[in-house]
Amino acid sequence: MPSPLGTLAELRSALDAGTTSSQELVAQALERAEALKGGLNCFMGLRADAAREEALAADARRKRGEVRSRVDGVPVAIKDNMVQTGEPTTCASRILTGFVSPYTSTAVQRLVDAGAVVIGRTNMDEFAMGSSTEHSAIGPCHNPWDPTRTAGGSSGGSAAAVAAGIVPFALGSDTGGSIRQPASLCGVTGIKPTYGRVSRWGLVAFASSLDQIGVLARTAEDCASVLEIISGHDPRDSTSIPEPAPVYRDALERGIEDIVIGLPREYFAPEGADPAVLATVCAAVEELERAGARTREITLPHTRYGIATYYLIADAEASSNLARYDGVRYGLRARGTVGLTEMYERTRSEGFGDEVKRRIVLGTYVLSAGYYDAYYRKAQQVRTLLRGDFEQAFHGCDVIATPTAPEVAFRLGEKTADPLSMYLSDVYTVSASLAGIPGLSLPCGFHDGMPIGLQLLGPAMGEAAPLRVAAAYQRSTAHHENRAPETV
Amino acid sequence: MSGSPLSRFEMVIGLEVHAQLRTESKLFSSAKVSFGDAPNHNVEPVCLALPGVLPVLNRRAVECAILAGLATHCTVHTRSVFARKHYFYPDLPKGYQISQFELPIATGGWIDIQVGADAEAVTKRIGLTRIHMEEDAGKSIHDDAVAGSDATLVDLNRAGVPLVEIVSEPDLRSPAEAGAYLRTLRSILRYIDVSDADMEKGNFRCDANVSLRPIGREEFGTRTELKNLNSFRFVEAAILAEARRQASILADGGEIQQATMAYDAATDRTRVLRLKEDAHDYRYFPDPDLIPLEIGAGEIEEFRRALPELADEKCLRFQAQYGLSEYDALQLSEDRALGDYFEAAVENHGAAKTVANWMLRDVLKALGELEVEIGDSKLTPEAFARLLELVDSGTITAKSGQGLVSDLVRAGGDPTALVSERGLEAVSDAGVLAAAVDEVLAEYPENIEKFRAGETKVLNFLMGQVMRRTQGKADPNAVRELLAERLEG
Repeated sequence: MPSPLGTLAELRSALDAGTTSSQELVAQALERAEALKGGLNCFMGLRADAAREEALAADARRKRGEVRSRVDGVPVAIKDNMVQTGEPTTCASRILTGFVSPYTSTAVQRLVDAGAVVIGRTNMDEFAMGSSTEHSAIGPCHNPWDPTRTAGGSSGGSAAAVAAGIVPFALGSDTGGSIRQPASLCGVTGIKPTYGRVSRWGLVAFASSLDQIGVLARTAEDCASVLEIISGHDPRDSTSIPEPAPVYRDALERGIEDIVIGLPREYFAPEGADPAVLATVCAAVEELERAGARTREITLPHTRYGIATYYLIADAEASSNLARYDGVRYGLRARGTVGLTEMYERTRSEGFGDEVKRRIVLGTYVLSAGYYDAYYRKAQQVRTLLRGDFEQAFHGCDVIATPTAPEVAFRLGEKTADPLSMYLSDVYTVSASLAGIPGLSLPCGFHDGMPIGLQLLGPAMGEAAPLRVAAAYQRSTAHHENRAPETV
Repeated sequence: MSGSPLSRFEMVIGLEVHAQLRTESKLFSSAKVSFGDAPNHNVEPVCLALPGVLPVLNRRAVECAILAGLATHCTVHTRSVFARKHYFYPDLPKGYQISQFELPIATGGWIDIQVGADAEAVTKRIGLTRIHMEEDAGKSIHDDAVAGSDATLVDLNRAGVPLVEIVSEPDLRSPAEAGAYLRTLRSILRYIDVSDADMEKGNFRCDANVSLRPIGREEFGTRTELKNLNSFRFVEAAILAEARRQASILADGGEIQQATMAYDAATDRTRVLRLKEDAHDYRYFPDPDLIPLEIGAGEIEEFRRALPELADEKCLRFQAQYGLSEYDALQLSEDRALGDYFEAAVENHGAAKTVANWMLRDVLKALGELEVEIGDSKLTPEAFARLLELVDSGTITAKSGQGLVSDLVRAGGDPTALVSERGLEAVSDAGVLAAAVDEVLAEYPENIEKFRAGETKVLNFLMGQVMRRTQGKADPNAVRELLAERLEG
């Protein structure tokens, strides 16, 4: 098996020095992906031929001195919910069987324009609904640190591909924690930027008001590099923030002596998480204090309503967003049906998995006449309160530090029979999604040989603060340099 | 009528009109809006509801909706919200229609309609509940000949085309009022140039809510909704048919069930499409892909200032400024293009009354015969004015002038050139006229006696004969003088 790829920064230096080529890197990534296919199941599909050709073109550009960006010629993986012209997109669902996109998502287009080489699409929970990448039409993704455990989800494939050194970075999407939680469980760095920072054009919708594309990589520095490329206003997304892509480089180099870290009481309650996780996260916070940051306890009083609010809003939107998969225009259509109603019923029964069906039923109920006010409207009101909690809190601190997930990666199959316990995996991540603020997870230690993530939240539009703190942490610690043993 | 059950009730009617906005692209995508193109030709990923697509609001459509709101005296709101309305159907690609629900773009307006026959027409004010923006669905083709007996074809060219739904208060009391309301609304939308409002082309569609109440009672009865009334004639006929149906139920002591109805023109009856308990739960909620539509109060005022003069104001002005009768002014102001044509012709000619007479008599007749609109006329207002001058100056007779209108409307051209080309100059040469008069008198000698016996109306007959003999070119005054001379002589 070829050795794991380095960080984006390392690969770039090697490319600049001429000690490697894009063709070599892409070949290495593809071979490694193939070799780990059975063990990890982190890819839905590879685009080997196209990737090799694009690598050839990238090397030719480099020779001509026309390097486009810091990701030019670098292999990358994208979650299977971002469309690319001529490529299948399935969202790990049977219902999109046979769908090939005639257009490219903005985030992927910006990477392609910058010269990055997409080697494949990563495994995920069907339509991004899940926290373990077990609800997938091709079966579960395995954690590179322990294949009997989950990689987290829903961007589990992207997290595992980075953790296994197949690609230096990958795109994921985060609706309630789907980048941060798998990043935590796989021991990589992942950022969900402010809602609206990265265009959703071409991101298959799960919950439109929460979905946000982000980056999984080995370091905060790499996350920042990629985020600068994919961010920025897009007129095709009405919810896109009307500002150009920010530049994070300066922030990454600065120390954190003037940083105040807020520690929300509600996120450190002993009954909420594995004591080992809490202890490790507290140790990481102490490390940040040693690096110069000050800490203070804060309160986010509506935290306990986060999970309920999130699942009401996300499922309501999902039930609406998934109405288009009806067998009429593309994807799966059940065979041998008679009449329109049967075609709809059988197509959607055969096409969607159980978790997606559960969410559609819940979401449909939530929006029904007579229940709308009690559920959806109430949830929106609580969402406003949650957003207010964070606004208030950021008056007194620059970033908020919390655990990313309440425990390390759980065993495959452990929670699939108990949706509620699965939903609670998102307990620390959903509030930031509801508030639309940026959140980052970075590795900060281990328990039982499994990685633990530290979550850093910033104010709206303020990705720079968590990136800066994470970069400082990674300068003074080595947790992010650990390699998953199964794949070394 | 007194014997029919309907005579004991008063109709209460409210209309919901869907008008297609005149834009180049669709409400939420850059796909073209166009009719008659090959099926599924004007579609983009957004119209097909491909995975990952997002709507972006068409600015021009918003402007149209603002103008529609202002022209109907609505309050145009600085903040409105798009909502998703869910139902499954093959011609609804997303499984929901983007519409407006709780916060529409405009509410609380009115329009004035003319009720009653021309002479005794009175003005009635009809309230508008709301105007909201929404996208159209595609078209399902169930026709066996086209789709085959076991298939339905879907054409998404229309999917996503911008509409406004204009909802009236239940202020209408008869099919005729409903018709007048629709015609007035159509006139307004055309005046402000936001919709072609052409029922035949399907870009002006109407649903009607109909209920009855015993005459004199305040509270409303149970209503039914008539769907898809596709012509002005249908609207009035369908409402009447539904009112008759309800009246016979009520007269028999029955109750009206809330339902959606369809009208069958062949039988002139309405039938139940679905009862209220089978109604869809549309599960409206604000579309999270679209931010609330914010319109500055200043911007709304700018639109208000830019609003053109509407038909009712123009009608009053035409009476005051040009001394037209109310009836003439009404006819000339109903259609904006007709009013503009009239004013352009008056500017070139000067005598408004003459221009109005010729337009309402000869130009409208020519347009009707050719089945075209005033905008299609090849007779420019300037040329029209010249034609009238030729008549005024006696160069041609009025009869000759009238004969030219239709040809000029159809083919255009210079009236002066056409007159000489056809040799239509009026004949006033005394010798020629005297010869024609003498010929006529020689042919109808008995009329001379009749005239002298006091039967003066034969003069008109003889005039007509002289005109015929001169192909209508004879100066009628000269002919009249000559005839009088001979007859009295």
